[in-house]
Amino acid sequence: MRGENKRSVIVGIFVFIGIAILVAGILTLGGQQKKFVKSIQLKAVFDDIGGLQAGNNIWFSGVKIGTVRKINFYGDSQVEIEMNVEQEVVEFIRKDSKATISSDGLIGNKIIMIYGGTTMAPPVEDGDRLESVMPLDTDQMMETLQVNNENLVEITGNLKNLTSKLAEGEGMVGAALTDSLLAESFRAIVKNLDQASINSNRMIAELQNFTKKLNQEGNLFNDLVTDTTMASELKQTMESFKQTAANSEEMTQKLSAITDKFNDPNNSFGMLLNDPEFAETLKSTLENTDSATYNLNRGMEALEYTWPFNKGFKRKQKAEEKENN
Amino acid sequence: MTEKAEDRKPLLSKKIDKFFTGLADAWNFVRRFFKEVFIPPYEFKEVVHQCYRIGVESLPLIALTGFIVGIVFTNQSRPSLSEFGATSWLPSLISIAVVRAMGPLVTALIAAGKVGSSIGAEIGSMKVTEQIDAMEVSATNPFKFLVVTRVLATTFMIPVLVMFTDFVALMGSFLSVNANENVSMLTFFIQVFDAISFLDIISSVLKALLFGFTIGIVGCYKGYNSSKGTEGVGRAANAAVVMAMFLIFIEELLVLQIVNAIRMM
Repeated sequence: MRGENKRSVIVGIFVFIGIAILVAGILTLGGQQKKFVKSIQLKAVFDDIGGLQAGNNIWFSGVKIGTVRKINFYGDSQVEIEMNVEQEVVEFIRKDSKATISSDGLIGNKIIMIYGGTTMAPPVEDGDRLESVMPLDTDQMMETLQVNNENLVEITGNLKNLTSKLAEGEGMVGAALTDSLLAESFRAIVKNLDQASINSNRMIAELQNFTKKLNQEGNLFNDLVTDTTMASELKQTMESFKQTAANSEEMTQKLSAITDKFNDPNNSFGMLLNDPEFAETLKSTLENTDSATYNLNRGMEALEYTWPFNKGFKRKQKAEEKENN
Repeated sequence: MTEKAEDRKPLLSKKIDKFFTGLADAWNFVRRFFKEVFIPPYEFKEVVHQCYRIGVESLPLIALTGFIVGIVFTNQSRPSLSEFGATSWLPSLISIAVVRAMGPLVTALIAAGKVGSSIGAEIGSMKVTEQIDAMEVSATNPFKFLVVTRVLATTFMIPVLVMFTDFVALMGSFLSVNANENVSMLTFFIQVFDAISFLDIISSVLKALLFGFTIGIVGCYKGYNSSKGTEGVGRAANAAVVMAMFLIFIEELLVLQIVNAIRMM
């Protein structure tokens, strides 16, 4: 009897653990797949759903927020998707959000991805239809890839020709690769270029230094560019220069008139400067004057020794000697 | 009565007639079970006793098998998935395989071997040694005491064993995945439950109920109808295992079709 009781207890524990595993599994599954969460229904219409099935996941910003509830044909050949979306994320999905079909990996299950939406639009409500964006069609991708393949074949063919010519030393690049002298020249050019770049760097550095100095406050060029009062002063100076130039021009004109008059032999200066006859007469007059002065000096010397003038000269001489002592 | 029936000219052929006669007998047997199961008195103590024998005593063997299945299936699937860099899908793959098919199937096959043969041999030997007749004489309903209790026990214990098998197989798989892919237990079980649905769990439990019923009813039927002395006991045990396993596979196939049809709806 005791053994039967023990057996019953063990069976009870055994069944309890089994049922506990089942319940834990159901609860975990329900919690993870949000089966016990309140949800709303959203819809989207696609031309082609590419194998999407009921139960596939709905993602929003990379987070699973629901599952595909039902797939119905719509219109002529379109497909309407009914989605169960968790109530608690509804406030983040806006009415202008878009739905597209994607996959959760390279070869993963199909999913519906909800994205976009602006805060300007209100949150979605139960039964709303989202704008759908058709995903990339695999066939179209393959067609494009085929064109790319053909292009690639052509490119590799061209590349083959090019490399063979290069290997044979044809063309400038081929010669550069195979001719050792050309290579040396190239090396020298590159060296020069290197030096030139060093020099240009240095020059740029000096220019930078120079412009830095130019930009320093108190510098004339800096003031020219930055000081607004100086500009007006310069303007005034330029005006003064302009006035001076005008005056100079006027003066030059007057001088020109004067020189014109000097060149004219009809006036006294012009005759003095330009008339040779007058010059001869003046010369002869001056010679006569010189001769007269000489004779006068001789007369005066003679007077010095002549009475009564000699006494006057002697008194003058004595006075001068006194002053000198 | 039996001899007269055997002397009769066969309707189609002897073998075909025998097959259909057997089918009718099996049908009557099942019908009698459903009739007896609801009619008192109820043999609760015997049901608990059989539950202990069928469920608790089978647990170590079935748990060990489930654990090995989890590890082996994971290790065998890894090379195929790693060929295209999808070893991260191992938890999902194992989860679907174990919950949808392997758990119920492995449990049922092991139980068919261990429990089915035991029931067949036990009831067969009772039949051969006329213990069943003796029970009838002593006003005990042998069908209720021997058949109903065992079938109920298998029907309810196999789903419980399946739960254990699923859990242990997933733990075995986790050990392998953790050792090779460094996946944490939380990540592993998140992926496991991400891959399955309520339909998978419900179908798994229903399948286990069906398999349990099959193992019990086949074992009892074969034992109850055994004859020809000790040789018949061996045959009954053997036939119980073979027939139960065969029916389990047939049922697995049928249930799979039905579940897939429901999944597509």
